[in-house]
Amino acid sequence: MKRDTDRKITVEDLLRLKRAERPAAEFWATFESEIRAKQLSAIVNKRPWWDGISRIIWVVHRHPVPVGAAAALALAYMGVRYMGGPAGPAASNRANLAQPVAAATVAAPAARPVDRPAALPEGAGFAAREVTPVQEPVMAVSESHITKAPVTVANPSASRSPFADGIVITFSDVREPAPDYPQRSVFGSDNEFEPASTPARAPKADPLAGLDPAAERRARLLAPALPAYASGGSRAVASDWMKTKASSNERMYESMDQGPSDRMLVGFRF
Amino acid sequence: MNASKTIEKTLVASPERKLEADADLDIVRQVQAGDVAAFDRLIVKYRERVLGIIYNMTSNREDASDLTQDAFIKAFQSIHRFQGQASFFTWLYRIAVNSTLSHLRKNRLRSFFSLESIREEDPVSREVIDALTDRTGAGRDAFVRELQEKLNDAMQKLSINHRTVVTLFEIDGLSHQEIADIMECSVGTVRSRLHYAKQLLQAELQPYLPK
Repeated sequence: MKRDTDRKITVEDLLRLKRAERPAAEFWATFESEIRAKQLSAIVNKRPWWDGISRIIWVVHRHPVPVGAAAALALAYMGVRYMGGPAGPAASNRANLAQPVAAATVAAPAARPVDRPAALPEGAGFAAREVTPVQEPVMAVSESHITKAPVTVANPSASRSPFADGIVITFSDVREPAPDYPQRSVFGSDNEFEPASTPARAPKADPLAGLDPAAERRARLLAPALPAYASGGSRAVASDWMKTKASSNERMYESMDQGPSDRMLVGFRF
Repeated sequence: MNASKTIEKTLVASPERKLEADADLDIVRQVQAGDVAAFDRLIVKYRERVLGIIYNMTSNREDASDLTQDAFIKAFQSIHRFQGQASFFTWLYRIAVNSTLSHLRKNRLRSFFSLESIREEDPVSREVIDALTDRTGAGRDAFVRELQEKLNDAMQKLSINHRTVVTLFEIDGLSHQEIADIMECSVGTVRSRLHYAKQLLQAELQPYLPK
């Protein structure tokens, strides 16, 4: 190894040697063809799905204030839309769907003057009442949801058959409010179809309601030993029930007809 | 006066670099407008420098070739995001350096080196080799090869970040500020890394450094 005293070699000089490292010319020919192929495939190939996500992240990173404001507005809108109170647009939409649409649908056919068909005999069941044009929506006539159900049948857009007038009369009869029926809420009770004007029955007294279970059990256990318990006052209500049951048993036994000696006829009465 | 010029040179990009950046921006705008062929000019312009950086970071010619191609393809795919706030070459270097750092972290244990040949047409390189050896012919080639291996060994003993700073400053000639932009760190960090890396290299290459 030669040491040149005139030239002082430093680390920078040695690193300078690395600058001079260059690939041969044929390397660039290969490089050119390979990068061309990769570039073409990059143009043709579809970008992966996560590239869209990275682009969104890049946009958010680049414009944080507008994106954040837009996200906050969207969240606020969603909150009002789906979790807001009755003042929200969803509530008003629901209200619009519930009332005016149904009323309008029903009002159109009902408002049409309906004449009684000439062929209809006098005294026919559905024509006994004088048919008059219904000028108000059915919703106003009756609030029961039962009367709302056939609304679509009387749609005016449908072609009218020769029996349409009769059908309208029939529906108008059906939709006639029952004056005796009390108004009740749609989802009010399970006995929705039970007329409320049914004669009021006397409330059934539960025969076991007045029983004290502990006293009953005590009386049953002590009855063989202490006769006083067998006729205790606490059994007053239970005795009624027992009497009823005994009478029904007696009726059953009475119905047993003594037939021939080798058989016994039993009849059941319902 | 000379000291202040040196500091300015290491801190601030040269005016030629700024003119170059403006020219690059025009080409980038053409590519963004749909002229895909215009990107080829950028490839031809920067391929040697990008390959040089990646090669000196990896010390492997094949890896350097693949990573250089990948860096250009990534730049091509993402060129619609380039806004011109930094110069194109800084942006391209950042892509190349980040890809290489990621590759080196994944293949930390892999140590397969391949050498490029040193062009002795470069007067500075010839002068350095002449100062180190008086051999000629095959003996000189063997010496240069041995020196290359020692240099690569010393570089690979540096950490990835120190190696990157040395490569960008000493081999590619970028300023501290440009390196800081590319590596997304402060200028002070760049200087500190550079100083520490040179100390380590000096210790490793002591047999080739006359007292």
